[in-house]
Amino acid sequence: MPQAAARGAIRIDDVVKIYDPDGAAVMAVDHCSLDIEAGEICMIVGPSGCGKTTLLNAIAGFHEITSGTITLDGEILCDTAHPKAEPGSDRIVVFQNGALFPWKTNLENVAFGPTMQGELTRAEVVEKAMGMMADAGLAGVEHNFPGEISSGMRRRVEIVRALMNDPKVLLLDEPYRALDSLTKSVMHEALLEIYYKNKVTIFFITHDLEEAIFLGHKVAIMTTRPCKPKKILIVDIPHPRDYSALTSKRFRELMEETNEAVHEEALKAFEAGEKEG
Amino acid sequence: MEQAKQPVKTEVMLDIFKRTMPFQVVSDAMLRKIAAVSWRVTYEPGAVIYDAGDKADDIYIVVSGKIEHALEPDVQARRPVQTLKAGDVFGWAALLEKFPARLARAICIERAEVVRINGDELLRLLESDPDAGDVVMSRFATMIRQDYTVPDLIAQLRSIHRKLHAADIQGMNPTLYRVSLWLKSPRPYLMLIGFALFLGFWYLAVEVWKLPRFREMPGITGVIKEWISKDPTYGLSLYTPEYYEHIGMSVWRVTQAFFLATILGVPFGLFLGWSKTFKEYLFPVFETLRPIPILAWVPLAIVMFVATESAVIYLTFLASFYATALNTMLGVDSIDESYIRAADCLGASKWQVFRHVIVPGALPFIFTGLQISVGVSWFSLVAAEMVSGQYGLGYVINTSYTMVRYPTIVIGMITLGAVGYITSAIVRLVGDYLMQWRLRELAMGGR
Amino acid sequence: MARRKFDTRSITRGVISIVVFVILWEIGSRSKQWLGADIFTPVRDALGAMGFKKNYLPWIGAVPAPTEVLQAWAGVITDPSYWLSWYKSSLRVLAGFTAAMLIGIPFGLLLAVNRTAFGIGFPVFEVLRPIPPLAWVPASIIFWPTQELSIAFVTFIGAFYTIVINVVGGAKSIDVRYFQAAQSMGSSKWDIFRRIILPGTLPSIVVGAAVGMGITWEVVVAAEMISGGGSQTGGTGGGGLGFFIWNSYVGGSYQQIVVGMISIGIAGFISSELLRTLGKYVTPWLRLR
Repeated sequence: MPQAAARGAIRIDDVVKIYDPDGAAVMAVDHCSLDIEAGEICMIVGPSGCGKTTLLNAIAGFHEITSGTITLDGEILCDTAHPKAEPGSDRIVVFQNGALFPWKTNLENVAFGPTMQGELTRAEVVEKAMGMMADAGLAGVEHNFPGEISSGMRRRVEIVRALMNDPKVLLLDEPYRALDSLTKSVMHEALLEIYYKNKVTIFFITHDLEEAIFLGHKVAIMTTRPCKPKKILIVDIPHPRDYSALTSKRFRELMEETNEAVHEEALKAFEAGEKEG
Repeated sequence: MEQAKQPVKTEVMLDIFKRTMPFQVVSDAMLRKIAAVSWRVTYEPGAVIYDAGDKADDIYIVVSGKIEHALEPDVQARRPVQTLKAGDVFGWAALLEKFPARLARAICIERAEVVRINGDELLRLLESDPDAGDVVMSRFATMIRQDYTVPDLIAQLRSIHRKLHAADIQGMNPTLYRVSLWLKSPRPYLMLIGFALFLGFWYLAVEVWKLPRFREMPGITGVIKEWISKDPTYGLSLYTPEYYEHIGMSVWRVTQAFFLATILGVPFGLFLGWSKTFKEYLFPVFETLRPIPILAWVPLAIVMFVATESAVIYLTFLASFYATALNTMLGVDSIDESYIRAADCLGASKWQVFRHVIVPGALPFIFTGLQISVGVSWFSLVAAEMVSGQYGLGYVINTSYTMVRYPTIVIGMITLGAVGYITSAIVRLVGDYLMQWRLRELAMGGR
Repeated sequence: MARRKFDTRSITRGVISIVVFVILWEIGSRSKQWLGADIFTPVRDALGAMGFKKNYLPWIGAVPAPTEVLQAWAGVITDPSYWLSWYKSSLRVLAGFTAAMLIGIPFGLLLAVNRTAFGIGFPVFEVLRPIPPLAWVPASIIFWPTQELSIAFVTFIGAFYTIVINVVGGAKSIDVRYFQAAQSMGSSKWDIFRRIILPGTLPSIVVGAAVGMGITWEVVVAAEMISGGGSQTGGTGGGGLGFFIWNSYVGGSYQQIVVGMISIGIAGFISSELLRTLGKYVTPWLRLR
């Protein structure tokens, strides 16, 4: 269980999102309620196209919600009256296909947030950036461009870029989806290492149940579209975790408990012909 | 301790290579050559394959079994101790000049079969085939970077890249890089064949066989003689100052028009792409005027701009402007939404997003547009000069025709082609320089 | 994301902007009639200081007003030789364009598919490409026996380069995995050509055709203007729309110049749209994304 951190508690309260393409109302999120504790790693698992990204986008401030409320540490991000949150550096997104600016060096990418906000001097920003990159095992590639390093390293740079801004929440939208499973397993351990040093709330979307149980304190299994939590699992494997957790007895038990639920929804999505978001 | 070397079966070797990175990406022919400098060895559990400080001579591929690989602490590896299995490659210090000694201790844990490749020989083979060598080394670089963070090691890899190519990739001129690769391929020779066929046909058709329509055309010998003569019959050759005056005039006009079009077109295009309101109000007018061919403007331009010089520049400008603005707008449209959202999350203001995301992100398209724009400028310029100019290459071509100076027509055409190509190349070079990140990305991709 | 088939707001804004444009045009081109008023004295002085004529606004002041243009157009619409010009220009465009497609597409595919052919043919192609099509006009006139053929040749050159470049680029950018998939299913080389290269290149052919069509109009108009004096039948309808414009200029009826310009613009737009529709029909898979 995470130590009590004062910030980053998200409350999703009865949120509904209805799209209106060509006049046919499509409900993406169906009265979804979810509580995420401060400093918790909350994994959102569900089949493709079920609406989980919609939730993330609503928290981040990219999309509107139709009704309901989302609050962060008690403050309202968006509700029925003001359906769109303002994007901000307290909730930073790490994107599925990566969004490091290819035309800036890794260092400039990492330094981007504080540089734009202008509260530190250039020298301070660079020092902090170099330090955080070294901590994350990225020393040596500061002056390369993102196109020159491997995709696994790019993900790490992106996470460091987010953490430079001391966010309350990290929103991860299937960040490891495009990586092969060997790189993925390395990235998981790297993410946990980073998490143990910077206790942020992590809202992590994935379709990989193993990844979810390995990383998360809490796993919310969502129904296929329209999405709402079908089953919430508390993962009581103690942190800090390492790869041996994958083959532990408790892990197997948790997988058994939840596998059926996930598979059921996956089947429904498949039959409905859902496309990936 | 080593076991006896076993005889090599090339096919078996190829099979092993194909299951291993980075050798998978190499051609069979190259793999056979590598197989010729490789051999298989078996180790028993507990055998020390090599120790830190030993001479680094060979690279190893694990075929079966388990090897423990323990790096010296001062290497600052992310994971100092690794267990290597089938398909893993180790011992690549053999490829690096600066590290002739082993950095780690390699011990066999479970009975293991390995393939050893002589490092010097491998390097020599990779240098002999720049394309394959480039790919292999960049894959090595990626693999090594994932595990190690020693700046020295990584700098070393770059110097291997340098060894394989004549140019320094870091601050490199990509055109030189391309040229060096090109010279080593069969392409220059085919190119010569192509030109020989073309020029040969021209010569034969006009001057030797005197084919029906061709005999009135200026012949290639006539053109060349005229071009290089110090006292040309028709007044224009490499030695006459008028030649360069005309070239200068045309180039100057294109330069003016191009710069004007760029200064106006790029911002216009950027705003068209960036602001939906701006686009809704201004794009319709733009798109309504655009289908009118530039040359249809000629008479009106003459009426509008009392001086013909301004009319010519206006026409050239217009064509350029359309191309630049359109491509810039497409460039902005092409930027992945994620970049803008990421910048928003990170606290950038609208103006900062424009400056740090939109403009650099659209730059590749902008430069494509600029290259098109240069080409289009020449197109309009020549037409305008032919209709209403007094100097310039278009004028030269037109008057050479009316005054029956046929070889000069061809001189004019060829000069136009050359100058047009050079201006295009200049734009491309500037673009390459401004977008270093793109080239390095391409270079790393092993193209 | 909510999207309606007809976004009324953007259409309204477009219409407004075009209307405003025409109004400004009207006012500006009639500046000779109102710039003389006393309140504009400082404006006139400023124009004089900058070197422009003082009695009308620079550039726009010399252009005929939209109302005048419409009048001229009404006069010309009933003249059959106007429509003859349309016909002649369109015919030339069609001829040159079709020739460019018929020769350019196979040539481009050959270059893309056969590496030796590419090595031999492409450099020569690239060296000749920067020579603008209109620079070929005199050479073309010398070579071809009739004026029509020489115009057609220059038109052909204009479109040919664009089409070949697009075909080569398109064929090269076909994802290599399609080839691998076909090969693993046992396709012959001809099969691969017919079922992968041809359809795979089709989108680029369509783009090349659309751009090529624009260039064709440019060249036809220019060629008609340049060999303008040479049209035999006289009147406005002899040599096509380009000649129509040039003749109007020479004859001093500036309003007709603008009529001609707009006519060509419309003709060019129609042909591009036709091409684009044909293109969509031929590549149905691109519509659904």
